Amino acid sequence: MRRLTFFLRLFLWFSGRHMRRHLGRALVVLFGIALGAAVFTSVRLSVYASLHSFTRSMDFFAGTAEKVLVRPGGYVPEGVLPVLLAHPAVKDFSPLLTTYVRVYPPQGSSFLLIGIDPLLDQSFRKWRIRGDREKKDERWLDLIREPYTVILTEPLARELDTVSGARLKLEHTRSTAEFRVAGILVPEGLALVEGGRVALTDIATFQEFTGLYGLVDRIDLTFKPKTTPLDIEDLTRKLPEELELRSPSAARDSGTAMIQAYQLNLSVLSFASLFVGMFLVYSLVALNAASRRRELAILRAVGASSRLLFNLFLAEGALFGLCGWLLAIPLSSLLVKYLLHSVSQTISTLFVRVQVEGLVLSPWEILASFAVTLSISIAAAFHPAREAMGVSPKEAMEIAQTGVRGQRSVGKLAAWAVGCILACVPLSLMPGVAGVPLPGYLAILLLFVGFSLLAPWMLERVGRALSPALRRFAGMPAYLAGRYLRDSRTRTSISVGALITAVALFTALVIMIHSFRQTVELWVQQTVSGDLFVTTKMGQVNRFRFPIPEPIVAGLQQLDVDADRVPSRRFQMTYGDFPYEFEVLGMDTFLKHGGFVWMKGDPETARPLLLRGDGLLVSEVFANRTGLGIGDVFRAQIEGSRVEIPVAGIIRDYRTDGGVVFYSWKEFRQRFHDPQWSGVRFYFRDRTRDIDVQTAELRESLIARWGDRLDMIGGKELRHAVLKIFDETFAITTVLLLIALAVASLGITTTLTVLVLERTRQLNTLFAIGGSFGQIRSMICWEAGFLVVAGELAGLACGFILSYLLVYVINRQSFGWTFLYTVDWATLALSFPLIVLTALVAALPAVRTAFREAPATLLRER
Amino acid sequence: MNSNSAEPVIHARKLSRTYPFGDSSVTGINQVDLDIAPGELVVLKGDSGSGKSTLLALLAGLDHPTAGELVVAGHHLSNSAGADLTRFRREVVGMVFQSFNLLPTLNLLENVCLPALLAEKPPEAVRGKALELLDWLGLKSRLAHFPAQLSGGEIQRTAIARALINDPALILADEPTGNLDSRNGRVVIDLLAELNRSSGRTVLIATHSNLADALAHRCIRLRDGAITDPTCDG
Repeated sequence: MRRLTFFLRLFLWFSGRHMRRHLGRALVVLFGIALGAAVFTSVRLSVYASLHSFTRSMDFFAGTAEKVLVRPGGYVPEGVLPVLLAHPAVKDFSPLLTTYVRVYPPQGSSFLLIGIDPLLDQSFRKWRIRGDREKKDERWLDLIREPYTVILTEPLARELDTVSGARLKLEHTRSTAEFRVAGILVPEGLALVEGGRVALTDIATFQEFTGLYGLVDRIDLTFKPKTTPLDIEDLTRKLPEELELRSPSAARDSGTAMIQAYQLNLSVLSFASLFVGMFLVYSLVALNAASRRRELAILRAVGASSRLLFNLFLAEGALFGLCGWLLAIPLSSLLVKYLLHSVSQTISTLFVRVQVEGLVLSPWEILASFAVTLSISIAAAFHPAREAMGVSPKEAMEIAQTGVRGQRSVGKLAAWAVGCILACVPLSLMPGVAGVPLPGYLAILLLFVGFSLLAPWMLERVGRALSPALRRFAGMPAYLAGRYLRDSRTRTSISVGALITAVALFTALVIMIHSFRQTVELWVQQTVSGDLFVTTKMGQVNRFRFPIPEPIVAGLQQLDVDADRVPSRRFQMTYGDFPYEFEVLGMDTFLKHGGFVWMKGDPETARPLLLRGDGLLVSEVFANRTGLGIGDVFRAQIEGSRVEIPVAGIIRDYRTDGGVVFYSWKEFRQRFHDPQWSGVRFYFRDRTRDIDVQTAELRESLIARWGDRLDMIGGKELRHAVLKIFDETFAITTVLLLIALAVASLGITTTLTVLVLERTRQLNTLFAIGGSFGQIRSMICWEAGFLVVAGELAGLACGFILSYLLVYVINRQSFGWTFLYTVDWATLALSFPLIVLTALVAALPAVRTAFREAPATLLRER
Repeated sequence: MNSNSAEPVIHARKLSRTYPFGDSSVTGINQVDLDIAPGELVVLKGDSGSGKSTLLALLAGLDHPTAGELVVAGHHLSNSAGADLTRFRREVVGMVFQSFNLLPTLNLLENVCLPALLAEKPPEAVRGKALELLDWLGLKSRLAHFPAQLSGGEIQRTAIARALINDPALILADEPTGNLDSRNGRVVIDLLAELNRSSGRTVLIATHSNLADALAHRCIRLRDGAITDPTCDG
């Protein structure tokens, strides 16, 4: 205890007072670390909020169910209930239906309507009407007694400005009806699903409202104690073949895996800011250790151990980490407000629907961000602390330095650097671990470390090569700048390392985002081709589960319009636990007007197979997740039909909800059953007439005939909306990137200032022997320019390699997709002048610092 | 080089320099009157804190006086600034420091050439002059060596060569033997004396040591920022 007290006291005297005296530098570093920590923490908390909301929703929804009976791609007939009732293993069962509805006339967004049997559901899910005490008042029985009654959650009731007893008109794909609000749910259990925006109604009312007579989405089951797997097998045998018993957590686990993969990706990106901030800490602690060398020697001379010096500087790093993290708290609170909405929107767009009520402060996430920030800062201080350990007490007797202190061989560092960079190759070829691209992330880390270690060698080579030319063409200041950088080695390479990291990230993300967008644009133009898209009302939000009514289909087929029609039907399926869509499409007409973005397989060979129904197409995500390749047989049970067709090709597709499988509409109808229409797209034949005008005319005629029973969107509008969604999903990435660049700029500023401070004596000597302020200022600016150019060039090279890793390894292993690799040269070229400008701006504080001490101090004895 | 002129090369009247220190101030030098003729070798003596370094800094154009008049080689330093002082430091004065102050990343030849190159003189001519100086100082075989590879004596001789490259009228040496052994210290003092004799340059040496006493034309003693003995006898 006494040792600790002494250490703290010495730390305050030695390090604390020094920091207070040079507060500006410390604050810059603190701000850099705080920014990095704030970004990292905010990202983690934002995604956690979505993850928490999703898993909680799924858990409350699953309730106590041990198994769930479903029919892939379709509905479970109520006719199986007697089988369940009769089976000795089944304890309880509860049928369930869900759909998205909205208030009529439309206001706000849609919400989930759940149809349950209030009696059977009691043992499965927790829900209670406000005012009911343990259901003794039986107000919940109103659901059974009175048709078209509904119970709302509190947030939903507030949003719809309604109360218990009021009447509410609800709109669904197939109908609109008036409901009476029988009560408001207490916020617990089922009332917390979907962010608290749900409504409950009796299953019979639900079936009547939606037209799903005798059908349910699923039947939840619990079993009697001592039920064995054999009993479950027996039950399965007694059920119709097209039904499946699944784990209730399957959907939750699948969605959780996708969100966690996204969280890891964003965490790595946000970690880059912290990583760059690490360089800031290193710079300042290294400066403190170098500039106070004499004081360290004196400490050693009066009895301090080398370990004590080591601990002093390590503690400096720790202090930066701790204070930086504390400062990150208010910064995070600002950042998280923006990120929370963006992240949840991205997750809902790309993966699974989430409704986030607000921030959830997970103690583990907060602890993780604290631990990471502190570790980074301590790691950054490690090397300077070790150097401080090596100060000899004899140095206390020296008056002045006469030469450059020996530094690590740049050749050795370069060898390590090459080793690290080469190690990326085998790592990038390794598969992920439990779906997480860990070898890929390790490859990225080694890439950054490798290029950072290469910086001293690079600076030496550049300085050596350019120095003679510089003297001739740019004068003494440039020459001196080049010479200093050539010989400064690790001192300046830290700043260059930070800049390399930031520029590499910038380059890689610019390439990745551009590649993604270009590929999506191509996909949109080809696969999302069409002039007008028509689906059932609320078809999209209900995932096209409800086909267009037959009379309307007949009307659409007979419509007097000069356009080709491509009908489609989508089935929501799972392959094991992996969700995908099986889409039947009017293939022959579609291929005349649009197409697919092929990845594998020959389109010419595959086309006749597709048209004949002897082959189908799977998306890249589907192929990567399931392992099915060209020639492998795809098998699935779809609405009672057993489909077994070989894979004819693999295509790129970027719709949400996992993978997709395409098959010919005509052949599906002939071989299996009538799939019905969930949507149709129109292609106008007359391309000479204004397409917008034709689209508007067709829309008007459809509305005139069927009112609001159909949802419509123009092809251009849809393609624009799809691209807008993709742009918005990358907004977060762009923000993280800009923050990393900002931290790197702080790094350059700090390091330049540090370099000037370390050389005060030299700069004053230059002044004393005839150097002007202008010449010295010019020299510092040249140094800044060299650092930045070196960092930019190496960063570009690193960034190109990183972009390959991101596109072909990380994205593929995390999400199952890749993109067509294309480079946005214009944006990359723009970065160069921007970064040079940053360097010049960053040099200003350093220049001002150069002459803060009077040159006359040269004449003082040390 | 300014020699054989009737005007003193250093002329100071009531020269003062004070430094603010919290609510009070510290006196560096106080009301110093000083005249040094061209071609003199003057030794400036005084204990630590006597004001030697302050006076030298003012004479070198590294600091500004708080009060008084200071003219060095015709340059009025009391009210000079910016480009004038830069030109002064390049052309008029050559500094030799106690801590040598060579740039560690430049070799011996480059360190010597540096002030002339900063003055934008033709590189070839500068190199020739530097080689001449280094030859005279016995350092011709060490041209490509860096300061870390030289002995204390060699470094200080290099610093003398650097001080001479722009042919200044005045050499100011601040404790030039302070970090040297007695043999090397003797060598350096002899060099400075030789410079004074052969070229007629004015040399002012601030020192604790007695090595230069016998060679100096004059000795000035400072105490507490004032000249106590303008003709000190050791």
